[in-house]
Amino acid sequence: MGTFTRRHALATMGAGAATLALWPRLGTAASGADSRLLVLMLRGGLDGLHAVPPYGDPDYARLRGPLALAPDGSQAAWKLDGTFALHPELAFAARLYARGDLLPLVAVALPYRGRSHFDAQDCLENGTATPYGAQTGWLNRAAATLLGRDSLALTAVMPLILRGPVDVKTWSPPLPKAIDPVLLQRLEPLYGEDRHLAAAFAQACARKDTGYSLLTEDEDGAAAGSDSAMAAGARTASRGDAAPRLPALMKVAGNFLALPDGPRIGFVEDYGWDTHANEALILGRKLRELDDAFAAFYDAAPLAWSRTVIVAVTEFGRTAAINGTGGTDHGTGAAMFLAGGAVRGGRVAGQWPGLAADRLYEQRDIPATTDLRSVFKAILARHMGLGEAALNEKVFPGSGHIAPLEGLLRT
Amino acid sequence: MADDPSPEAMSAVNRFGLGARPGERVPGDPVDWLASQLRSGPDGGAAFLGLSSSIDYMKREGEIARLARRRRGRSSSDNTDAGAASSGNPADLYRRSFGADLQREYLARWTVAANSATPFAERLVRFWSNHFSVSTDKFSARVYALPMEREAIRPHINGRYVDLLLAVEMHPAMLRYLDQVQSIGPNSRMAQRMPVRAEGAAARTRGLNENLAREILELHTLGADAGYSQNDVTELARALTGWSMPRLVADALDGGDVPARTFLYREAAHEPGARKILGRRYADDGQAQAEAILRDLAMHPATARHLATRMARHFVADTPPPALVQRIARAYLDSDGNLAPMYRTLIQAPQAWEPQARKFRTPQDFVIAAIRGASVAIGETPRPWEGALMRLGQPSLQPRSPAGFSDLADEWITPDAIYKRMQIAQALGERSPRQGPDAMARAYAVLGPRLDAQTRQALARAESQGQAIAILIASPAFQWRA
Repeated sequence: MGTFTRRHALATMGAGAATLALWPRLGTAASGADSRLLVLMLRGGLDGLHAVPPYGDPDYARLRGPLALAPDGSQAAWKLDGTFALHPELAFAARLYARGDLLPLVAVALPYRGRSHFDAQDCLENGTATPYGAQTGWLNRAAATLLGRDSLALTAVMPLILRGPVDVKTWSPPLPKAIDPVLLQRLEPLYGEDRHLAAAFAQACARKDTGYSLLTEDEDGAAAGSDSAMAAGARTASRGDAAPRLPALMKVAGNFLALPDGPRIGFVEDYGWDTHANEALILGRKLRELDDAFAAFYDAAPLAWSRTVIVAVTEFGRTAAINGTGGTDHGTGAAMFLAGGAVRGGRVAGQWPGLAADRLYEQRDIPATTDLRSVFKAILARHMGLGEAALNEKVFPGSGHIAPLEGLLRT
Repeated sequence: MADDPSPEAMSAVNRFGLGARPGERVPGDPVDWLASQLRSGPDGGAAFLGLSSSIDYMKREGEIARLARRRRGRSSSDNTDAGAASSGNPADLYRRSFGADLQREYLARWTVAANSATPFAERLVRFWSNHFSVSTDKFSARVYALPMEREAIRPHINGRYVDLLLAVEMHPAMLRYLDQVQSIGPNSRMAQRMPVRAEGAAARTRGLNENLAREILELHTLGADAGYSQNDVTELARALTGWSMPRLVADALDGGDVPARTFLYREAAHEPGARKILGRRYADDGQAQAEAILRDLAMHPATARHLATRMARHFVADTPPPALVQRIARAYLDSDGNLAPMYRTLIQAPQAWEPQARKFRTPQDFVIAAIRGASVAIGETPRPWEGALMRLGQPSLQPRSPAGFSDLADEWITPDAIYKRMQIAQALGERSPRQGPDAMARAYAVLGPRLDAQTRQALARAESQGQAIAILIASPAFQWRA
């Protein structure tokens, strides 16, 4: 076995690809404005009715059939109140809820009403009411009004939400090892048509989640040698043999945001939430990852927790009823989570419209009762200290009529 | 992309080239586009500027060898320097001395692959590089492997094959990889001078080595089934004795003069006498004896057939049409062993453009095409890309044998490989820039009219741009050079 090429090459893909931007030591002491904001974008359209099941809604069980969850079901969901519960895999989130650090919001949506992932995500990131309505992201424009502190994206390429006038650091995550099951689902019909490749693909899929074991080498090459918490986080994130990726990324995010002179704004994204088929299995896994992600951040940043708001948000919700393949299709009103010590949680926020047939948007979706921008604006105003004018004109242009949603935070 | 590109244009870009780059104009006349690259040759751009040459590496090897020897001398007399033993470890020393160079070499190669605007010429470079495989597994050849591609292959892909052949066989990478530097004629002056203690291992290591001679006949010229005998191999090995490179410590440093060339003919190691190969007699003409043999081998009809088969297999189909192979071989022989007429015959042949002409992308093809298709930046280190190839089973310049990597689909289509391609597709999806063409536009640019309805639908339904790029790269259509 060759020494150089083999070992070095094996030590790579992940950390080698990472452009590991060392966090600059700014030398400024933490000022009064020391709050932290982490936006966690769940791309694909999280099914709110599965993550935050409204078991008390009289129409829920009928619409959801085998996907329905309840506190007294065979798979016991965590009861939040008389109407809502949390998915059984969200155990840590349920504990956060119990101590008032988790605030689920229901029936929230963008002003955009189409059902395209691309367009909806563009809106969610550009902060306007229309796809491609701005070339920069609202989180960057918000950062532009915060003086002297950078933002951080834990992504390989700069996401739209953080593109803009302010310089943003990126910390590249290690490469994904397990294959997103949604990607496999999408590829399956394509490979079925290629007679040379169909059999190999079918066998490759049969191994499903064993992807982690394919890669045995520790992938952390570039992070070695730094003494900061970031390096520790980088090691954790890149080890990743048994651990899924999102929790590892959130741990890194926690390490960064907890630094006294670290970024005040962070961004993490995750994929694989588009559950048209086999949703119970896929979301079970994904929600467990999300739960671990909250825990990982909490463990990494215990001292920053009280000053932190994590916003876990998705581009749209899904249909109220399940489809014929054990999944749900693109919808409108969604669920989201605020987590952190600065959050006034322990209750479910947003106005629940109910799932009665005459309430559904276009006879299929949960209607939107809260504009997502009112949530973002509230957090930026009350938590990050942005002024009203900046919010209405720069960060969310043309949103003067959207008032910040009050009462989301402890003050 | 104003108009829909033709299937032929996409073949030129994908099958003859290294893969489409969205935003780059698709050639209007595919044959003309390929032919123009034969005229211009491969354009490495600025990527290779500042890299060391083999002679630089050789000089530095000499310095390292001298340093190591001095250290050994010191530690044997004075055992207090605990670090001496470990730091004198050749592998460590080598890595410290050449690690950064190797990184730069690989990075340059990846940069060229990702950005080349002469991708057909670049594919030819890689085709010949694989034809003349050396492996970096061979420690002593490692640092010369990439320079060999630059120095011996790139300048010669368009000329006479014999010039390419000679440049390669005289390059330190090949001389070392196939042990030619150690080969000594049993009746040479050098052998005569050797102590008579030669028994066992010593006898075997200081004598004739047939490795290079065998691979020249089997891989580089005639081909395995061309009917040459073991005696031909041995005779060629004898003729090749003396083909060597300077011994670093002895020749470069103790002797005073720094050698000006990496090739050194050692008359003293040369086996005296005439040689007989394939029935033909070659007088003992020193270094020129083997050269004369190689010149004849290059023009042998079996060599023409062998090269034509490999070429047609690489560009047209795993089992290429025999008539096409014959025509390419004919073009070679009719042009006094020139390569350009072979390429021209290939690209002008109707069989090369038929719909069923397609090749499964090898891992290297796949990763390069994916980088180009997804507009992913190579970055500052080759490690992620070499890592990807390692996983996919085709690490650069590290084949398992001198035969190089297989050019057959069956070798590469395995469940494990498909799985890993999906992993890599996913990773590239994350790294594809969000600005610029969206995934659907990329798919059109990359697959052209071969973008089928199902793939298009899957792309439209992707949950994010990143996933759409992953679908495109992991799609079966992308696995083929069609």
